Amino acid sequence: MNYKLDFTPVLDGLPSLLIACLGTFALALGGMVLAIIIGIGGVMLRDSRIAPVRWFIKSFVEVIRNTPFLVQIYFIYFALPLAGLRLDPTPTAIIALGINGGAYAIEIIRGGVQSIGKGQIEAGLALGLHKAQVFRLIVLKPALRAIFPSLTSQFVLLTLTTSIASAISAYELTSVAQQIETSSFRSFEVYGVVTVFYLVISWLMMRFFGMISTRYFSYPVK
Amino acid sequence: MSLFKSILRRSLGALVLAGVAAATLGSAPASAATPEEIKARGKLLVGLLTDYPPFGGTDAQQQPAGYDADVAKLMAKALGVPVELVPVTGPNRIPYLLTNKIDVLIATFGITAERQKQVLFSNPYSSLTIYVLAPKSLNIKTPEDLKPVTISVARASTQDTAISAIAPQGTQLKRFDDDATALQALISGQVQAMGASNTILAQLNKDYPQLNMEPKLTLREQANGMAFRKADTALAEFANKFIADIEKNGELSAVNQRWFGIPLTKLPPMPSF
Repeated sequence: MNYKLDFTPVLDGLPSLLIACLGTFALALGGMVLAIIIGIGGVMLRDSRIAPVRWFIKSFVEVIRNTPFLVQIYFIYFALPLAGLRLDPTPTAIIALGINGGAYAIEIIRGGVQSIGKGQIEAGLALGLHKAQVFRLIVLKPALRAIFPSLTSQFVLLTLTTSIASAISAYELTSVAQQIETSSFRSFEVYGVVTVFYLVISWLMMRFFGMISTRYFSYPVK
Repeated sequence: MSLFKSILRRSLGALVLAGVAAATLGSAPASAATPEEIKARGKLLVGLLTDYPPFGGTDAQQQPAGYDADVAKLMAKALGVPVELVPVTGPNRIPYLLTNKIDVLIATFGITAERQKQVLFSNPYSSLTIYVLAPKSLNIKTPEDLKPVTISVARASTQDTAISAIAPQGTQLKRFDDDATALQALISGQVQAMGASNTILAQLNKDYPQLNMEPKLTLREQANGMAFRKADTALAEFANKFIADIEKNGELSAVNQRWFGIPLTKLPPMPSF
């Protein structure tokens, strides 16, 4: 196949692609914040004394982890409006990413929480700490330290998953790339450059989480 | 600074890999499909849409079916080989053709000046009208009226190009992967209007009469052609003769009758740009 490379359309669209990277970061950041809230909240509720709450959290985790993200985002964007809840593409994408990431975060954080010895929790309670203080200081922080690498990988994956939001016309890197590709028909050049962009985004995310790890989780273990 | 160097090093590495892949692509021999080669291979590979009934849809067995599929079968019959129908989408139609995944596109493919730079078109074998569709209650008389309206289109379609050209700055154009998804956005109320053809309008009024849809602006009368790689002139010539034959002998009219309920009137002329 005699294919002649032409990067002109990509170079012309470079400012648009760079701005679209900000859209990708915004979706990823919004999704991560929501995922952390759902993750921590879900772990606290997963062992609730109220049986329906426990069942709800377990069912939520199973449903989200065993259905494709595209189906989830389509459900929120296309099905919920029929029930009266209409959201624009960007909030839809953030909520879908948050829910999806949250389900995985619940399981990751739960693994970390279970690694904390029962004796430490009892010691905290014996010292007169409230249950909330015990959870925050004795359970959550050491657990987060243990699971931080797994959580980092999950959040990098979440960042790359933002590309699926182009299916509902959310503004991010892939949707802008598709726009350039469909007007220029230079698939190889466009997606070649976008691949590099995503590599850089992933690497920056890894560095960002590495800095957080160094700053907050590098204390010595006694 | 070391952070920047590291990013640069990784990016350059990725670009080198991309370059190697491109060099491999570039050095591969040009693959021109001729009628003789297709006969020797023993099958015709046709790319067609499956999300755009009645031109391109699926039957009860989830096999491609519609006006385009019937034309593809007739073309394969004329070549004396079986046909393999390859589903494509609006955005990937041209890449499928240019990367030799198919021999020909029979995919409700509007003949435009931009596309003509990339592919070789046959004479038209079908036509349709592209509109901006919206509820009767919405006041749209000129392109300027589109500014406050949210419009859905199938990405890389002729309606996408046409609306992008006439819509004023700031018009919210939502691009989806195909017509089915763009239509779903309209039905679910995520958008107020849609760039679509007369076939979509007929389907909407049949299935969703409560939406009260009507054509607001006529964007273009579209002639659809088969598309070939630029090098495949022999196959394009065969297609032109084939289209003329099936128009003359009434087979194309029978296909039109089957899918649109009316006989074929007259095919549009080849657009000139």
